[in-house]
Amino acid sequence: MVPLENFLALSGILFAIGVYGVLARRSAVLVLMGIELMLNAVALNFVAFAAYLDPGQFAGVVIAVFIITVAAAEVGLALAIIIRYFRMQATSNVDEAAALKW
Amino acid sequence: MAVEVLWWLFAFLIVGTAIGVVTARTVIHSALFLLASLGGVAAMYVLLLVEFLALVQILIYGGAVAVLVLLALMLTRQAAGGEPVSLNGPQAPFAALAGIALAAVLVGAVVASSWPAAAADGPVDVPFEQISEALFEDFGATFILVSILLLVAAVGAIILARQEDAD
Repeated sequence: MVPLENFLALSGILFAIGVYGVLARRSAVLVLMGIELMLNAVALNFVAFAAYLDPGQFAGVVIAVFIITVAAAEVGLALAIIIRYFRMQATSNVDEAAALKW
Repeated sequence: MAVEVLWWLFAFLIVGTAIGVVTARTVIHSALFLLASLGGVAAMYVLLLVEFLALVQILIYGGAVAVLVLLALMLTRQAAGGEPVSLNGPQAPFAALAGIALAAVLVGAVVASSWPAAAADGPVDVPFEQISEALFEDFGATFILVSILLLVAAVGAIILARQEDAD
């Protein structure tokens, strides 16, 4: 049997990798992928706690379902914004996207 | 024990492909690594005996989100055939530092904490029926809110990405 700590450590490492991706990458789509990794790490954390510590209650699983739903909504909106910005400014580099209005 | 072996296998798969996502030299490779990493998380849900979430994960991430990300990558590609630009900014070493520090803090906290004795019993099987009961009865109001959020996000995405002739 795999101890709970293994799952928690895995999700912590996955979250940290996502943080690195968000901070280091320049392309907005790649930043979004880092955010996806972080969201997945959090969902895995919730589900691990629900499966080990909360039998009979499914708050952790239900919250993971909501995380996946919100992540899907967020990806759709963010990609629409990125495509829109690319069409106007011909770049998806977050370092160059410094204008507050045009 | 087969479960432990599978766990370590998928753990290395997830971490390896996640590192691939943040270090790959081309954006398409990054997207494919992301797909593999999310599939590994789906396998983790199976090992946690929550098959429903594994199915949802594969359906939504493997299907919808991956296609969406790949489409966006192709639509926002810089001039093809040009000099490959660096995908990382100058801040990358500091980002690596922050990531390693965060991983150390999180793993250290997990190791240092003492967990309740119930954690030693292992994961409990979660049947589909009880998930749906929890989802639609205990969290019914939240479910409605999330569905409204999804609808608004979909409509907003269409309005944002629409071609405008006057623009």
